Amino acid sequence: MNTLIKLEITRTLRNKKFMFFSVVYPAGLFLVIAGPQGDSVVSGTGGLTMGAFYMVAMASFGALTAVLMGNSERIAKEREKGWVRQLRLTALPGRGYVLAKIASAAVVSLPSIIVVFLVAVAIKHVHLAAWQWLALTGVIWAGSLCFAALGVAIGYLANGDAVRPITMIIYFGLSILGGLWLPTTSYPQWLQDITTWLPTHAYAGLGQAIELGGAPHGRDVAIIVGYFLVFAAGAAWLYRKDTRKA
Amino acid sequence: MKTTAPPATAVASFADVSKAYGRVRAVDGLTLDLHPGETVALLGPNGAGKSSTLDLLLGLRTPDSGRISVFGKSPQAAIAAGHVGAMLQSGGLMEGVRVREIVGLACDLHPKPYPVDEVMDRAGIAQIADRMVDKLSGGQEQRVRFALATAGAADLIVLDEPTTGMDVTARQAFWSTMREQAGQGRAVLFATHYLEEADAIADRVLVLHKGRLLADGTAAEIKAKAGARRIAFDLECEIDEAALRGLPFLASLSLSGTTVRIQSHDADATVHALYGLGCYPRNLEVSGLGLEQAFVAITEAEEARTS
Repeated sequence: MNTLIKLEITRTLRNKKFMFFSVVYPAGLFLVIAGPQGDSVVSGTGGLTMGAFYMVAMASFGALTAVLMGNSERIAKEREKGWVRQLRLTALPGRGYVLAKIASAAVVSLPSIIVVFLVAVAIKHVHLAAWQWLALTGVIWAGSLCFAALGVAIGYLANGDAVRPITMIIYFGLSILGGLWLPTTSYPQWLQDITTWLPTHAYAGLGQAIELGGAPHGRDVAIIVGYFLVFAAGAAWLYRKDTRKA
Repeated sequence: MKTTAPPATAVASFADVSKAYGRVRAVDGLTLDLHPGETVALLGPNGAGKSSTLDLLLGLRTPDSGRISVFGKSPQAAIAAGHVGAMLQSGGLMEGVRVREIVGLACDLHPKPYPVDEVMDRAGIAQIADRMVDKLSGGQEQRVRFALATAGAADLIVLDEPTTGMDVTARQAFWSTMREQAGQGRAVLFATHYLEEADAIADRVLVLHKGRLLADGTAAEIKAKAGARRIAFDLECEIDEAALRGLPFLASLSLSGTTVRIQSHDADATVHALYGLGCYPRNLEVSGLGLEQAFVAITEAEEARTS
Protein backbone atom coordinates (compact mmCIF):
# COMPACT_ATOMS: atom_id res chain seq x y z
CA MET A 1 0.00 0.00 0.00
CA ASN A 2 2.82 2.42 0.88
CA THR A 3 4.55 1.48 -2.36
CA LEU A 4 1.38 2.29 -4.26
CA ILE A 5 1.11 5.70 -2.58
CA LYS A 6 4.80 6.37 -3.27
CA LEU A 7 4.37 5.36 -6.90
CA GLU A 8 1.25 7.53 -7.27
CA ILE A 9 3.22 10.51 -5.93
CA THR A 10 6.24 9.78 -8.14
CA ARG A 11 4.18 9.67 -11.30
CA THR A 12 2.27 12.83 -10.34
CA LEU A 13 5.55 14.68 -9.81
CA ARG A 14 6.68 13.43 -13.23
CA ASN A 15 3.57 14.84 -14.87
CA LYS A 16 4.80 18.34 -15.66
CA LYS A 17 1.56 19.62 -17.10
CA PHE A 18 -0.35 18.58 -14.01
CA MET A 19 2.26 20.04 -11.67
CA PHE A 20 2.11 23.32 -13.60
CA PHE A 21 -1.64 23.60 -13.28
CA SER A 22 -1.84 22.67 -9.64
CA VAL A 23 1.28 24.42 -8.28
CA VAL A 24 2.39 27.26 -10.56
CA TYR A 25 -0.97 28.29 -12.01
CA PRO A 26 -2.76 29.29 -8.74
CA ALA A 27 0.27 31.32 -7.63
CA GLY A 28 0.45 32.95 -11.07
CA LEU A 29 -3.24 33.73 -11.00
CA PHE A 30 -2.77 35.30 -7.57
CA LEU A 31 -0.15 37.64 -9.02
CA VAL A 32 -2.29 38.56 -12.01
CA ILE A 33 -5.43 39.28 -10.02
CA ALA A 34 -4.13 40.58 -6.69
CA GLY A 35 -0.81 41.98 -7.95
CA PRO A 36 -1.98 45.26 -9.53
CA GLN A 37 -4.61 45.97 -6.83
CA GLY A 38 -3.73 48.22 -3.95
CA ASP A 39 -4.21 47.29 -0.33
CA SER A 40 -7.86 48.24 -0.46
CA VAL A 41 -10.23 46.27 1.70
CA VAL A 42 -12.54 43.81 0.00
CA SER A 43 -16.10 44.77 0.87
CA GLY A 44 -18.23 42.24 2.74
CA THR A 45 -15.24 40.30 4.05
CA GLY A 46 -14.98 41.97 7.41
CA GLY A 47 -11.85 43.91 6.54
CA LEU A 48 -9.61 41.64 4.47
CA THR A 49 -7.20 43.32 2.08
CA MET A 50 -7.06 42.28 -1.57
CA GLY A 51 -3.81 40.44 -0.94
CA ALA A 52 -5.10 38.52 2.05
CA PHE A 53 -8.40 37.71 0.39
CA TYR A 54 -6.85 36.37 -2.78
CA MET A 55 -4.11 34.53 -0.94
CA VAL A 56 -6.66 32.27 0.74
CA ALA A 57 -8.82 32.09 -2.37
CA MET A 58 -5.93 31.00 -4.59
CA ALA A 59 -4.43 28.60 -2.04
CA SER A 60 -7.86 26.96 -1.79
CA PHE A 61 -8.15 27.00 -5.58
CA GLY A 62 -4.73 25.36 -5.97
CA ALA A 63 -5.56 22.62 -3.48
CA LEU A 64 -8.90 22.10 -5.21
CA THR A 65 -7.15 21.76 -8.57
CA ALA A 66 -4.65 19.23 -7.24
CA VAL A 67 -7.16 16.91 -5.62
CA LEU A 68 -10.14 17.21 -7.95
CA MET A 69 -8.51 17.20 -11.38
CA GLY A 70 -5.94 14.55 -10.49
CA ASN A 71 -8.33 12.02 -9.03
CA SER A 72 -11.32 12.16 -11.33
CA GLU A 73 -9.51 11.81 -14.64
CA ARG A 74 -6.97 9.26 -13.45
CA ILE A 75 -9.58 7.00 -11.90
CA ALA A 76 -11.89 7.12 -14.92
CA LYS A 77 -9.02 6.32 -17.28
CA GLU A 78 -7.58 3.56 -15.14
CA ARG A 79 -10.97 1.95 -14.80
CA GLU A 80 -11.33 2.00 -18.55
CA LYS A 81 -7.83 0.65 -19.22
CA GLY A 82 -8.22 -2.20 -16.75
CA TRP A 83 -5.56 -1.17 -14.24
CA VAL A 84 -8.20 -1.14 -11.50
CA ARG A 85 -9.10 -4.70 -12.51
CA GLN A 86 -5.47 -5.74 -12.47
CA LEU A 87 -5.08 -4.33 -8.96
CA ARG A 88 -8.05 -6.37 -7.81
CA LEU A 89 -6.01 -9.47 -8.62
CA THR A 90 -3.44 -8.46 -6.02
CA ALA A 91 -3.65 -8.70 -2.25
CA LEU A 92 -4.30 -4.93 -2.08
CA PRO A 93 -7.56 -4.43 -0.19
CA GLY A 94 -10.34 -2.96 -2.36
CA ARG A 95 -10.29 0.45 -0.69
CA GLY A 96 -6.50 0.62 -1.02
CA TYR A 97 -6.63 2.06 -4.52
CA VAL A 98 -8.94 4.91 -3.57
CA LEU A 99 -7.06 5.65 -0.35
CA ALA A 100 -3.76 5.77 -2.25
CA LYS A 101 -5.27 8.20 -4.74
CA ILE A 102 -6.52 10.50 -1.98
CA ALA A 103 -3.26 10.28 -0.04
CA SER A 104 -1.12 11.11 -3.05
CA ALA A 105 -3.43 13.99 -4.04
CA ALA A 106 -3.06 15.36 -0.53
CA VAL A 107 0.72 15.30 -0.85
CA VAL A 108 0.59 17.25 -4.11
CA SER A 109 -1.92 19.79 -2.80
CA LEU A 110 0.42 20.88 0.00
CA PRO A 111 3.01 22.59 -2.27
CA SER A 112 0.25 24.33 -4.19
CA ILE A 113 -0.95 25.92 -0.92
CA ILE A 114 2.51 26.85 0.28
CA VAL A 115 3.67 28.37 -3.03
CA VAL A 116 0.71 30.76 -2.99
CA PHE A 117 1.56 31.76 0.61
CA LEU A 118 5.20 32.40 -0.29
CA VAL A 119 4.28 34.54 -3.27
CA ALA A 120 1.76 36.47 -1.18
CA VAL A 121 4.35 37.18 1.51
CA ALA A 122 7.08 38.14 -0.95
CA ILE A 123 5.08 40.29 -3.36
CA LYS A 124 2.00 41.50 -1.48
CA HIS A 125 3.63 41.58 1.97
CA VAL A 126 0.81 39.77 3.68
CA HIS A 127 1.50 39.68 7.41
CA LEU A 128 0.02 37.09 9.71
CA ALA A 129 0.93 35.59 13.08
CA ALA A 130 2.75 32.25 13.14
CA TRP A 131 -0.32 30.42 14.47
CA GLN A 132 -2.36 31.86 11.61
CA TRP A 133 0.01 30.49 8.97
CA LEU A 134 -0.06 27.07 10.54
CA ALA A 135 -3.81 27.09 10.99
CA LEU A 136 -4.35 28.30 7.42
CA THR A 137 -2.18 25.56 5.98
CA GLY A 138 -3.85 22.92 8.12
CA VAL A 139 -7.40 24.06 7.41
CA ILE A 140 -6.98 24.46 3.65
CA TRP A 141 -5.17 21.17 3.44
CA ALA A 142 -7.78 19.28 5.49
CA GLY A 143 -10.64 20.96 3.64
CA SER A 144 -9.28 19.72 0.34
CA LEU A 145 -10.26 16.17 1.42
CA CYS A 146 -13.85 17.15 0.67
CA PHE A 147 -12.93 17.73 -2.98
CA ALA A 148 -10.70 14.67 -3.14
CA ALA A 149 -13.79 12.63 -2.31
CA LEU A 150 -15.70 14.51 -5.02
CA GLY A 151 -12.92 13.69 -7.49
CA VAL A 152 -13.14 9.99 -6.65
CA ALA A 153 -16.91 10.06 -7.07
CA ILE A 154 -16.64 11.71 -10.51
CA GLY A 155 -13.95 9.20 -11.51
CA TYR A 156 -16.31 6.32 -10.81
CA LEU A 157 -19.32 8.10 -12.27
CA ALA A 158 -17.98 9.17 -15.65
CA ASN A 159 -16.13 7.29 -18.34
CA GLY A 160 -13.00 8.16 -20.33
CA ASP A 161 -14.32 10.78 -22.74
CA ALA A 162 -16.95 12.32 -20.49
CA VAL A 163 -14.79 12.74 -17.43
CA ARG A 164 -12.85 15.82 -18.55
CA PRO A 165 -15.82 18.02 -19.52
CA ILE A 166 -17.74 16.97 -16.41
CA THR A 167 -14.76 17.71 -14.17
CA MET A 168 -14.18 21.06 -15.90
CA ILE A 169 -17.78 22.20 -15.48
CA ILE A 170 -17.80 21.27 -11.80
CA TYR A 171 -14.32 22.67 -11.22
CA PHE A 172 -14.89 26.07 -12.82
CA GLY A 173 -18.47 26.24 -11.59
CA LEU A 174 -17.47 25.66 -8.00
CA SER A 175 -14.42 27.94 -8.23
CA ILE A 176 -16.21 30.93 -9.73
CA LEU A 177 -19.56 30.63 -7.95
CA GLY A 178 -17.87 29.82 -4.63
CA GLY A 179 -15.87 33.05 -4.79
CA LEU A 180 -12.37 31.66 -5.31
CA TRP A 181 -11.73 33.90 -8.30
CA LEU A 182 -13.54 37.03 -7.19
CA PRO A 183 -15.48 38.05 -4.10
CA THR A 184 -19.09 36.84 -4.19
CA THR A 185 -20.11 40.25 -2.82
CA SER A 186 -19.88 41.50 -6.40
CA TYR A 187 -22.61 39.04 -7.47
CA PRO A 188 -26.35 39.89 -7.56
CA GLN A 189 -28.11 39.15 -4.27
CA TRP A 190 -30.05 36.08 -5.52
CA LEU A 191 -26.78 34.48 -6.68
CA GLN A 192 -25.07 35.35 -3.40
CA ASP A 193 -27.85 33.53 -1.56
CA ILE A 194 -27.06 30.41 -3.53
CA THR A 195 -23.28 30.65 -3.37
CA THR A 196 -23.19 30.67 0.43
CA TRP A 197 -24.32 27.03 0.27
CA LEU A 198 -21.50 25.89 -2.00
CA PRO A 199 -18.62 23.85 -0.57
CA THR A 200 -16.04 26.14 -2.18
CA HIS A 201 -17.59 29.19 -0.50
CA ALA A 202 -17.39 27.49 2.87
CA TYR A 203 -13.87 26.31 2.03
CA ALA A 204 -12.60 29.84 1.38
CA GLY A 205 -14.56 31.01 4.43
CA LEU A 206 -12.49 28.73 6.68
CA GLY A 207 -9.26 30.45 5.71
CA GLN A 208 -10.70 33.97 5.73
CA ALA A 209 -11.95 33.57 9.30
CA ILE A 210 -8.43 32.61 10.39
CA GLU A 211 -6.93 35.59 8.55
CA LEU A 212 -9.29 37.84 10.51
CA GLY A 213 -7.89 36.36 13.68
CA GLY A 214 -10.74 34.05 14.66
CA ALA A 215 -11.72 30.43 14.41
CA PRO A 216 -13.57 29.20 11.30
CA HIS A 217 -17.32 29.77 11.46
CA GLY A 218 -19.37 26.81 12.61
CA ARG A 219 -21.63 27.18 9.61
CA ASP A 220 -18.72 26.87 7.14
CA VAL A 221 -17.32 23.86 8.98
CA ALA A 222 -20.74 22.21 9.02
CA ILE A 223 -21.25 22.83 5.29
CA ILE A 224 -17.89 21.44 4.29
CA VAL A 225 -18.18 18.39 6.56
CA GLY A 226 -21.69 17.80 5.22
CA TYR A 227 -20.48 17.91 1.62
CA PHE A 228 -17.57 15.66 2.52
CA LEU A 229 -19.95 13.06 3.92
CA VAL A 230 -22.19 13.27 0.84
CA PHE A 231 -19.26 13.03 -1.60
CA ALA A 232 -17.57 10.20 0.34
CA ALA A 233 -20.82 8.22 0.55
CA GLY A 234 -21.40 8.79 -3.18
CA ALA A 235 -17.86 7.71 -4.00
CA ALA A 236 -18.20 4.58 -1.84
CA TRP A 237 -21.52 3.68 -3.46
CA LEU A 238 -20.20 4.22 -7.01
CA TYR A 239 -17.05 2.28 -6.16
CA ARG A 240 -19.07 -0.72 -4.98
CA LYS A 241 -21.32 -0.54 -8.01
CA ASP A 242 -18.25 -0.52 -10.26
CA THR A 243 -16.72 -3.47 -8.39
CA ARG A 244 -19.83 -5.57 -8.94
CA LYS A 245 -19.68 -5.19 -12.68
CA ALA A 246 -15.87 -5.47 -12.71
CA MET B 1 1.63 -36.46 -21.79
CA LYS B 2 1.19 -37.40 -18.17
CA THR B 3 -2.02 -38.70 -16.74
CA THR B 4 -2.57 -37.47 -13.23
CA ALA B 5 -4.77 -39.33 -10.83
CA PRO B 6 -6.91 -36.61 -9.22
CA PRO B 7 -5.43 -35.89 -5.78
CA ALA B 8 -7.78 -35.51 -2.87
CA THR B 9 -7.41 -31.74 -2.53
CA ALA B 10 -8.64 -29.54 -5.33
CA VAL B 11 -6.87 -26.29 -6.12
CA ALA B 12 -10.15 -24.80 -7.26
CA SER B 13 -13.61 -26.16 -7.71
CA PHE B 14 -16.78 -25.03 -9.42
CA ALA B 15 -20.00 -26.63 -8.19
CA ASP B 16 -22.95 -26.11 -10.53
CA VAL B 17 -21.98 -22.49 -11.21
CA SER B 18 -24.16 -20.30 -13.43
CA LYS B 19 -23.88 -16.68 -14.46
CA ALA B 20 -26.13 -14.78 -16.83
CA TYR B 21 -25.91 -11.27 -18.27
CA GLY B 22 -29.47 -10.31 -19.01
CA ARG B 23 -30.78 -13.15 -21.12
CA VAL B 24 -27.37 -14.47 -22.14
CA ARG B 25 -26.22 -17.44 -20.07
CA ALA B 26 -22.49 -16.91 -20.02
CA VAL B 27 -21.79 -19.83 -17.70
CA ASP B 28 -24.38 -22.56 -17.39
CA GLY B 29 -24.18 -25.19 -14.66
CA LEU B 30 -20.40 -25.51 -14.69
CA THR B 31 -18.90 -28.16 -12.40
CA LEU B 32 -15.19 -28.89 -12.40
CA ASP B 33 -12.14 -29.34 -10.20
CA LEU B 34 -8.57 -28.23 -10.83
CA HIS B 35 -5.75 -30.21 -9.22
CA PRO B 36 -2.21 -29.32 -8.13
CA GLY B 37 0.44 -29.65 -10.83
CA GLU B 38 -2.07 -29.71 -13.67
CA THR B 39 -1.71 -27.59 -16.76
CA VAL B 40 -5.21 -27.08 -18.04
CA ALA B 41 -6.25 -25.44 -21.31
CA LEU B 42 -9.63 -23.79 -21.59
CA LEU B 43 -10.88 -23.87 -25.16
CA GLY B 44 -13.99 -22.53 -26.73
CA PRO B 45 -15.17 -20.36 -29.61
CA ASN B 46 -15.65 -16.63 -29.00
CA GLY B 47 -18.49 -16.09 -26.57
CA ALA B 48 -18.19 -19.61 -25.14
CA GLY B 49 -17.81 -18.21 -21.63
CA LYS B 50 -14.04 -18.56 -21.22
CA SER B 51 -13.47 -15.06 -19.89
CA SER B 52 -16.57 -15.22 -17.69
CA THR B 53 -15.33 -18.48 -16.22
CA LEU B 54 -11.96 -16.93 -15.42
CA ASP B 55 -13.62 -13.81 -13.98
CA LEU B 56 -15.71 -16.00 -11.68
CA LEU B 57 -12.67 -18.04 -10.65
CA LEU B 58 -10.82 -14.81 -9.79
CA GLY B 59 -13.73 -13.30 -7.91
CA LEU B 60 -14.05 -10.38 -10.33
CA ARG B 61 -17.68 -11.39 -10.73
CA THR B 62 -20.01 -13.29 -8.46
CA PRO B 63 -22.03 -16.26 -9.71
CA ASP B 64 -25.84 -16.14 -9.83
CA SER B 65 -25.93 -19.64 -8.38
CA GLY B 66 -23.53 -22.40 -7.44
CA ARG B 67 -20.33 -22.28 -5.42
CA ILE B 68 -16.73 -21.56 -6.30
CA SER B 69 -13.92 -22.31 -3.91
CA VAL B 70 -10.23 -21.69 -4.42
CA PHE B 71 -7.94 -23.47 -1.95
CA GLY B 72 -11.03 -23.99 0.19
CA LYS B 73 -11.67 -20.25 0.38
CA SER B 74 -13.67 -17.68 -1.53
CA PRO B 75 -11.85 -16.44 -4.65
CA GLN B 76 -11.31 -13.02 -3.05
CA ALA B 77 -9.81 -14.54 0.09
CA ALA B 78 -7.56 -16.81 -1.97
CA ILE B 79 -6.24 -13.82 -3.92
CA ALA B 80 -5.70 -11.79 -0.75
CA ALA B 81 -3.69 -14.73 0.64
CA GLY B 82 -1.48 -14.72 -2.46
CA HIS B 83 -2.57 -18.17 -3.69
CA VAL B 84 -3.45 -16.98 -7.17
CA GLY B 85 -1.45 -15.17 -9.83
CA ALA B 86 -3.46 -13.99 -12.82
CA MET B 87 -2.87 -12.40 -16.17
CA LEU B 88 -5.92 -10.99 -17.88
CA GLN B 89 -6.34 -9.70 -21.39
CA SER B 90 -8.33 -6.81 -20.01
CA GLY B 91 -5.79 -6.08 -17.30
CA GLY B 92 -4.30 -2.65 -17.90
CA LEU B 93 -1.04 -1.26 -16.62
CA MET B 94 -0.35 1.81 -14.50
CA GLU B 95 0.85 4.67 -16.69
CA GLY B 96 3.58 7.17 -15.98
CA VAL B 97 5.81 4.68 -14.17
CA ARG B 98 8.78 2.54 -15.19
CA VAL B 99 8.67 -1.21 -15.76
CA ARG B 100 10.81 -1.85 -12.66
CA GLU B 101 8.47 0.28 -10.55
CA ILE B 102 5.29 -1.50 -11.55
CA VAL B 103 6.89 -4.93 -11.07
CA GLY B 104 8.22 -3.71 -7.72
CA LEU B 105 4.68 -2.72 -6.77
CA ALA B 106 3.34 -6.18 -7.64
CA CYS B 107 6.11 -7.82 -5.57
CA ASP B 108 5.42 -5.46 -2.69
CA LEU B 109 1.70 -6.25 -2.71
CA HIS B 110 2.25 -10.03 -2.78
CA PRO B 111 2.25 -11.85 0.57
CA LYS B 112 4.99 -14.25 -0.63
CA PRO B 113 7.00 -12.15 -3.09
CA TYR B 114 10.00 -13.12 -5.22
CA PRO B 115 12.87 -10.63 -5.66
CA VAL B 116 12.03 -8.00 -8.30
CA ASP B 117 15.07 -8.79 -10.47
CA GLU B 118 14.26 -12.49 -10.50
CA VAL B 119 10.68 -11.77 -11.59
CA MET B 120 11.84 -9.46 -14.40
CA ASP B 121 14.46 -11.97 -15.55
CA ARG B 122 11.93 -14.75 -15.75
CA ALA B 123 9.50 -12.60 -17.72
CA GLY B 124 12.31 -11.47 -20.04
CA ILE B 125 11.91 -7.77 -19.26
CA ALA B 126 15.20 -7.11 -17.45
CA GLN B 127 16.52 -5.14 -20.47
CA ILE B 128 13.49 -2.83 -20.50
CA ALA B 129 13.38 -2.30 -16.71
CA ASP B 130 13.88 1.47 -17.03
CA ARG B 131 11.46 1.97 -19.90
CA MET B 132 8.19 3.84 -19.20
CA VAL B 133 5.20 1.52 -19.18
CA ASP B 134 3.29 3.73 -21.65
CA LYS B 135 6.03 3.29 -24.28
CA LEU B 136 5.98 -0.52 -24.60
CA SER B 137 5.02 -2.65 -27.59
CA GLY B 138 2.11 -5.08 -27.33
CA GLY B 139 4.39 -8.07 -26.76
CA GLN B 140 6.41 -6.23 -24.12
CA GLU B 141 3.23 -5.19 -22.31
CA GLN B 142 2.16 -8.79 -22.31
CA ARG B 143 5.44 -9.83 -20.67
CA VAL B 144 5.03 -7.13 -18.03
CA ARG B 145 1.55 -8.52 -17.31
CA PHE B 146 3.13 -11.95 -16.98
CA ALA B 147 5.66 -10.53 -14.51
CA LEU B 148 2.78 -9.07 -12.45
CA ALA B 149 1.08 -12.50 -12.43
CA THR B 150 4.24 -14.25 -11.23
CA ALA B 151 5.49 -11.66 -8.73
CA GLY B 152 5.10 -14.08 -5.85
CA ALA B 153 4.78 -17.77 -5.03
CA ALA B 154 1.24 -18.46 -6.18
CA ASP B 155 -0.18 -22.01 -6.25
CA LEU B 156 -2.55 -21.38 -9.11
CA ILE B 157 -1.68 -19.35 -12.19
CA VAL B 158 -4.54 -18.17 -14.38
CA LEU B 159 -3.75 -16.86 -17.85
CA ASP B 160 -6.22 -15.44 -20.36
CA GLU B 161 -4.85 -15.69 -23.90
CA PRO B 162 -1.33 -15.16 -22.55
CA THR B 163 0.67 -15.33 -25.77
CA THR B 164 -1.44 -12.93 -27.84
CA GLY B 165 0.91 -10.40 -29.41
CA MET B 166 4.06 -12.46 -28.77
CA ASP B 167 6.27 -13.71 -31.58
CA VAL B 168 7.22 -17.37 -31.90
CA THR B 169 10.42 -17.12 -29.84
CA ALA B 170 8.74 -15.21 -27.07
CA ARG B 171 5.91 -17.72 -27.08
CA GLN B 172 8.29 -20.65 -26.71
CA ALA B 173 10.19 -18.93 -23.91
CA PHE B 174 6.89 -18.16 -22.25
CA TRP B 175 5.72 -21.75 -22.26
CA SER B 176 9.01 -23.14 -21.05
CA THR B 177 8.70 -20.81 -18.04
CA MET B 178 5.14 -21.98 -17.54
CA ARG B 179 6.21 -25.64 -17.63
CA GLU B 180 8.77 -24.91 -14.92
CA GLN B 181 6.01 -23.43 -12.80
CA ALA B 182 3.79 -26.45 -13.28
CA GLY B 183 6.77 -28.72 -12.58
CA GLN B 184 6.98 -27.12 -9.13
CA GLY B 185 3.51 -28.37 -8.34
CA ARG B 186 1.53 -25.29 -9.34
CA ALA B 187 -1.68 -25.58 -11.26
CA VAL B 188 -1.82 -23.55 -14.46
CA LEU B 189 -5.11 -22.74 -16.15
CA PHE B 190 -4.98 -20.92 -19.46
CA ALA B 191 -7.55 -19.87 -22.00
CA THR B 192 -6.32 -19.84 -25.55
CA HIS B 193 -7.45 -19.85 -29.12
CA TYR B 194 -4.17 -21.36 -30.34
CA LEU B 195 -5.17 -25.01 -30.38
CA GLU B 196 -1.65 -26.20 -31.04
CA GLU B 197 -0.66 -24.61 -27.72
CA ALA B 198 -3.33 -26.54 -25.90
CA ASP B 199 -2.29 -29.72 -27.70
CA ALA B 200 1.40 -29.30 -26.94
CA ILE B 201 1.26 -27.92 -23.41
CA ALA B 202 -1.88 -28.93 -21.54
CA ASP B 203 -2.26 -32.14 -19.53
CA ARG B 204 -5.93 -31.55 -19.63
CA VAL B 205 -8.23 -29.75 -22.03
CA LEU B 206 -11.62 -28.27 -21.19
CA VAL B 207 -13.94 -27.45 -24.09
CA LEU B 208 -16.54 -24.81 -23.31
CA HIS B 209 -19.48 -24.01 -25.52
CA LYS B 210 -22.28 -21.58 -24.64
CA GLY B 211 -21.18 -21.67 -21.03
CA ARG B 212 -21.36 -25.45 -20.74
CA LEU B 213 -18.52 -27.94 -20.41
CA LEU B 214 -18.62 -30.12 -23.53
CA ALA B 215 -15.48 -32.12 -23.03
CA ASP B 216 -12.92 -32.60 -20.26
CA GLY B 217 -9.91 -34.84 -20.77
CA THR B 218 -6.43 -35.13 -22.21
CA ALA B 219 -5.92 -33.79 -25.72
CA ALA B 220 -5.86 -37.42 -26.93
CA GLU B 221 -9.16 -38.15 -25.22
CA ILE B 222 -10.74 -35.04 -26.73
CA LYS B 223 -9.60 -36.13 -30.16
CA ALA B 224 -11.04 -39.60 -29.57
CA LYS B 225 -14.27 -38.09 -28.29
CA ALA B 226 -14.66 -36.08 -31.48
CA GLY B 227 -15.01 -39.43 -33.02
CA ALA B 228 -13.02 -39.64 -35.50
CA ARG B 229 -10.10 -40.66 -37.57
CA ARG B 230 -9.48 -39.66 -41.14
CA ILE B 231 -9.17 -42.17 -43.97
CA ALA B 232 -8.01 -41.05 -47.38
CA PHE B 233 -7.34 -43.13 -50.51
CA ASP B 234 -7.54 -43.09 -54.29
CA LEU B 235 -9.81 -45.35 -56.32
CA GLU B 236 -8.77 -46.30 -59.83
CA CYS B 237 -11.94 -48.19 -60.70
CA GLU B 238 -15.43 -46.78 -61.24
CA ILE B 239 -16.51 -45.09 -57.99
CA ASP B 240 -19.76 -46.44 -56.64
CA GLU B 241 -20.72 -43.58 -54.28
CA ALA B 242 -23.74 -45.35 -52.86
CA ALA B 243 -21.59 -48.33 -51.87
CA LEU B 244 -19.02 -46.04 -50.26
CA ARG B 245 -21.75 -44.26 -48.30
CA GLY B 246 -22.88 -47.67 -47.09
CA LEU B 247 -19.57 -48.24 -45.29
CA PRO B 248 -19.92 -48.77 -41.53
CA PHE B 249 -19.06 -46.13 -38.84
CA LEU B 250 -18.96 -43.33 -41.41
CA ALA B 251 -19.07 -39.78 -40.04
CA SER B 252 -18.57 -37.97 -43.31
CA LEU B 253 -17.42 -38.61 -46.85
CA SER B 254 -16.10 -36.37 -49.58
CA LEU B 255 -15.03 -37.11 -53.13
CA SER B 256 -12.71 -35.07 -55.28
CA GLY B 257 -11.63 -36.64 -58.54
CA THR B 258 -10.47 -40.14 -57.73
CA THR B 259 -9.62 -39.21 -54.13
CA VAL B 260 -11.97 -40.26 -51.35
CA ARG B 261 -11.82 -38.71 -47.87
CA ILE B 262 -13.70 -40.25 -45.01
CA GLN B 263 -14.10 -39.50 -41.32
CA SER B 264 -14.90 -42.60 -39.36
CA HIS B 265 -15.82 -43.44 -35.78
CA ASP B 266 -14.06 -46.79 -36.13
CA ALA B 267 -11.39 -46.61 -38.81
CA ASP B 268 -10.42 -50.28 -38.49
CA ALA B 269 -13.93 -51.50 -39.22
CA THR B 270 -14.43 -49.00 -42.04
CA VAL B 271 -11.20 -50.01 -43.78
CA HIS B 272 -12.03 -53.68 -43.33
CA ALA B 273 -15.39 -53.18 -45.04
CA LEU B 274 -13.73 -51.06 -47.75
CA TYR B 275 -11.66 -54.02 -48.91
CA GLY B 276 -14.89 -56.01 -49.13
CA LEU B 277 -16.26 -53.61 -51.78
CA GLY B 278 -14.09 -55.26 -54.41
CA CYS B 279 -12.31 -52.13 -55.48
CA TYR B 280 -8.74 -51.88 -54.37
CA PRO B 281 -7.86 -48.57 -52.59
CA ARG B 282 -4.47 -47.04 -53.41
CA ASN B 283 -2.34 -44.73 -51.22
CA LEU B 284 -4.42 -45.53 -48.18
CA GLU B 285 -3.80 -43.23 -45.20
CA VAL B 286 -5.40 -43.43 -41.81
CA SER B 287 -4.72 -40.57 -39.42
CA GLY B 288 -6.12 -39.08 -36.27
CA LEU B 289 -7.88 -35.73 -36.18
CA GLY B 290 -5.86 -32.79 -34.93
CA LEU B 291 -7.13 -31.14 -31.79
CA GLU B 292 -8.39 -28.32 -33.97
CA GLN B 293 -10.62 -30.56 -36.07
CA ALA B 294 -11.71 -32.42 -32.97
CA PHE B 295 -12.65 -29.13 -31.38
CA VAL B 296 -14.62 -28.03 -34.43
CA ALA B 297 -16.32 -31.44 -34.63
CA ILE B 298 -17.35 -31.34 -30.95
CA THR B 299 -18.72 -27.80 -31.04
CA GLU B 300 -20.49 -28.38 -34.36
CA ALA B 301 -22.11 -31.54 -33.05
CA GLU B 302 -23.35 -29.57 -30.06
CA GLU B 303 -24.67 -26.78 -32.34
CA ALA B 304 -26.54 -29.38 -34.36
CA ARG B 305 -27.91 -31.02 -31.24
CA THR B 306 -29.21 -27.81 -29.66
CA SER B 307 -30.56 -26.06 -32.74
